[in-house]
Amino acid sequence: MTAELLDDVLLTAAALFVVLAIAMFYRAVAGPTTQDRVLAVNVLGTNTVVILVLLAAALDEPWVLDIALIYALLNFLMAVAISKFTVERGGVL
Amino acid sequence: MSALAYALVAFVLATAIATALFRDVLSTIVVFGAYSLGMAILYTYLLAPDVAMTEAAIGAGVTTVLLLLTIARTTRPSPDQLFERLDVPAVVAVGAFLLVAGTQVLPEMWAVGDPTAPVWSNAEVSQYYIQNTYADTHAQNAVTAVLAAYRGFDTFGEAVVVFAAGVAVLLVLKREVFV
Repeated sequence: MTAELLDDVLLTAAALFVVLAIAMFYRAVAGPTTQDRVLAVNVLGTNTVVILVLLAAALDEPWVLDIALIYALLNFLMAVAISKFTVERGGVL
Repeated sequence: MSALAYALVAFVLATAIATALFRDVLSTIVVFGAYSLGMAILYTYLLAPDVAMTEAAIGAGVTTVLLLLTIARTTRPSPDQLFERLDVPAVVAVGAFLLVAGTQVLPEMWAVGDPTAPVWSNAEVSQYYIQNTYADTHAQNAVTAVLAAYRGFDTFGEAVVVFAAGVAVLLVLKREVFV
């Protein structure tokens, strides 16, 4: 019974984080500069890692942690690539 | 559907529409990254680990870099406005299609994970895989078992095709590495 309650709490927390992601997405749309957008999507990526870890605990599926790890490892890639693209046009990596 | 699923679908829809409507290509690429994040969580929620992992690796890493490499070789006119102008007849047509699909088609479909849902193509074959996959291959995920064990040589052939395509791209570009 308490385990089910805990799962519900974790799933609700994940849902709230997704609602938060929609709020963060406003910054990605509104901009006004590309840097704002990159930063917004970067925060969204970190948010995604949190949601995935909450899902892993709520669904009791440890493989979800692998996906969260992949995101934690690759999240910086877009920020680096776009920063370099903006500074020296033509260079990406 | 739980609150999480509704919130996820709303997020993915918002990102998809924004991706379609941005005029500036660089902004589109950035927003498309957010779309991929939402899709990965959705795949995870629907318990599709292999798809979610591919989306994580491709969406967060490869797509952005490939698209940036592409637009680095083009000229980008500074956009006169933030969003694409909407084509009213097209919006009406797509809206009507979505309305029919949402009100007529979706209610007829079976719920996700419904064990009593009929199998369209060949029920016996599906049942064989559901019942014997673990005994045959010792892989816990039936999709992974089909990809890597039952049709392992086929998957190997696909990998060879992708590798050959990469080598061909390098030959055409007259380069030795990709980046």
